[in-house]
Amino acid sequence: MGQFILRYRKDEELRWISHLDLKRTLERAMRRARLPLALTQGHNPRPKLSFGPPLPLGATSDAELITIHLSEALEAGQLKDRLNEQLPPGLQVLEAWSLPVYRKKETFADIELAEYVVSLTENPGAEDLQRRVEQLLASSALVVQRGGERPERTVDLRPLIHRLEVRGEDENSLELLMGLRTGSHGGARPQEVVALLGLDSETQVGRYHRRALSALPRQAGKPGLAQGRKWRRQTRKGSESRP
Amino acid sequence: MQISEFEALLPRVTKPARYIDGEWNAVHKDWETARVRFALVYPDVYEVGMSHLGLHILYHVLNSHPDYLAERAYAPWTDMEAELRKAGLPLVSLESRTPLRQFHVVGITLPYELTYANVLNLLDLAGVPPRAADRTQADPLVIGGGPGAVNPEPMAPFFDAILVGEGEEAVLEIAEAAALPSRQAALARLAQIPGVYVPSLYRYSPGGPGPVGEVTPVDGAPTSVARRYVDDLDSAPFPIKQLVPFLDTVHSRVTLEIMRGCTRGCRFCQAGAVHGSRRERKLETLLRQAEEAVAATGYDEVSLLAFTSVDHSHIEELVSGLVERLGKQGVGVALPSLRADSFSVSIANHIQQVRKTGLTFAPEAGTARLRSVINKQMTEDDLFAAADAAFSSGWTRLKLYFMIGLPTESDEDVEAIGDLVRRLVGFGRGALGARRGRLQLAVSIAAFVPKPHTPFQWMGQDEMAALAHKQHLLQGALRERAVKLSWTEPAVSALEAAISRGDRRVGAVIERAWQLGARFDSWGEHFEFARWQQAFSDVGLELRDYANQALPLDAPLAWDHIDCGMDRAALRHQADRALRGEEA
Repeated sequence: MGQFILRYRKDEELRWISHLDLKRTLERAMRRARLPLALTQGHNPRPKLSFGPPLPLGATSDAELITIHLSEALEAGQLKDRLNEQLPPGLQVLEAWSLPVYRKKETFADIELAEYVVSLTENPGAEDLQRRVEQLLASSALVVQRGGERPERTVDLRPLIHRLEVRGEDENSLELLMGLRTGSHGGARPQEVVALLGLDSETQVGRYHRRALSALPRQAGKPGLAQGRKWRRQTRKGSESRP
Repeated sequence: MQISEFEALLPRVTKPARYIDGEWNAVHKDWETARVRFALVYPDVYEVGMSHLGLHILYHVLNSHPDYLAERAYAPWTDMEAELRKAGLPLVSLESRTPLRQFHVVGITLPYELTYANVLNLLDLAGVPPRAADRTQADPLVIGGGPGAVNPEPMAPFFDAILVGEGEEAVLEIAEAAALPSRQAALARLAQIPGVYVPSLYRYSPGGPGPVGEVTPVDGAPTSVARRYVDDLDSAPFPIKQLVPFLDTVHSRVTLEIMRGCTRGCRFCQAGAVHGSRRERKLETLLRQAEEAVAATGYDEVSLLAFTSVDHSHIEELVSGLVERLGKQGVGVALPSLRADSFSVSIANHIQQVRKTGLTFAPEAGTARLRSVINKQMTEDDLFAAADAAFSSGWTRLKLYFMIGLPTESDEDVEAIGDLVRRLVGFGRGALGARRGRLQLAVSIAAFVPKPHTPFQWMGQDEMAALAHKQHLLQGALRERAVKLSWTEPAVSALEAAISRGDRRVGAVIERAWQLGARFDSWGEHFEFARWQQAFSDVGLELRDYANQALPLDAPLAWDHIDCGMDRAALRHQADRALRGEEA
């Protein structure tokens, strides 16, 4: 009985499987784990699952989210353990918590921000990189073409970049920290920001890693619903309270 | 951060998940302790190859043995091929990413003729000389098998050995032969294994144009190679822990092989020659295997594999048992192969309690006369009774398979297909009443391809122009909103026929076409007939001698040394009856 949220990791081994592949993989693991899945009605009954925003192909993450409906009672910890036994290397549930109130599919609708850590294998030097970042953040618009979509369209990425920082101990281990808009109202991809910085994704980037999904911090004058909420289980047991 | 050279190619190709492993139930055995190492290869893209049960069985059999190891590889898509060649990297296995040439055996399935150019390409990408004669002690043994093996001749130049028939038992004997230290000793041993054909120990003497000629042994190899056959299917190894792909493959579901072989004796069909007589698994075995395989894979569908699943002697108990045990888990049952009769529909109706499935019927020909010629024992009454049962059980969409270009066929026979389909449309509209708008008949028109070891092996295929004319007749006759017509390009069927009845000389054509760029010929976007025409002409052969010419009834044929259980006299008898319009 009830609805649970799972936060899981998609690692190295499976960074090349797509969002659709991932859905199938998780569904099958749930069936192997013999979880009492609540099924939809109709000709082709399916488990009632809802997934957080898709992870770009090739990226790793430890902030992925899914909701799952069960038809029988189960402890969140048991759910996590039973599923982990059936997941292939490269997928791991990090935490599971039950939702006190039945909520429908809009569970993840207020996720608006994705944080990425982009590790660089080659870089133009910390100072140069910092300058490029500042320049980019100072632009009023960053219009790019989006291929692959038909008809091709242009997108202004600037309002979608919420945060962009250079980090790293020394010149050899520089990283970019990105906070990018995501969700149904449009989002930016970390690869696009890398390209805007004049870096080559294939030769200069080691790994794209998503470390968090969250709602946006409250804007002045707007109601503070779920503001800045990080999608991790909080201290109060059995609820997803705010930080 | 270090990224392997191979890994660095993945962001540049479509569906990179084709080239990774880690699928649930994939086996990673210790390389060092395995005495014989097999690379099992399917000559088409991952999504197609993963749906082939034969390789799953061999993977399971070899990896269950303490001394052997098996890994997999599939044909890289053209973008990946380009990247591999540009980077100068060899084709590697999925599991340990070991170059294929480091295995003892590269085992390649021969599923259908249009994959043969891919076989040569795979070997070349692996750094293994495509021609067996050019291989040395340092190269792996390249061993073929699968449906194409019943006429091994067109691929004979490229294989060290080819297994004719079923592999689950023979593969262990092959492994022991491959363990021998010298290539020559291994080939000599392989030639003594029942069902194994070692082409280099046979000579071909052509006896005219086309596949007329004799294959004779040298160096004491057996004169004829009899198809290998598993007597007891019930106790034959079955992979419970089936590999679960990440990608959406052609068949993402548990495959439950309920029967093997076919004895219906349709005269155009090679199934009887390839798979032999009918053997069944027992009801209890199947129910147990289905439950265990669902538990081990997490699939939500079990598909019953057989040429005609309703022919299983306990099909009703099997279906109700599966529905009862699996239905509450939301696991459906699929019956892909039905007869056109109301019994089949009632079985299908039972399984749609869990999940809706499609219904497919194969009348093959439009007239009773022509159905007698091909020995398809189905009457129009059967078909209408099946359709009636289907419509009254709620189906509105049916798939129908027909063939054109069959021996003795006239334009009237072809027009009769149109007439039959139109009468079914009328019948369906009446039966469906208010839901008539939803009626859809998906009509698939294939061209007859003469196949070795069938009574029709001597018959020529219609010329491409004649096939195009017949397609045109049907297109004109079936301009119905409720009918969706699909057909095979005549050039594709012509090539299939030419390779299917190919002799050893056709091997050179395949090699030439591959050099000219032939890849993935079963994929419409890659098939270019001009390449194959060029290849035939470069080699100095005529495609029509192989595809279209009727073959002399009393001359030896290039595949006569392969024994598929039906002798020449029996085939000839059936061919004569066919031409007189008599059933078997």
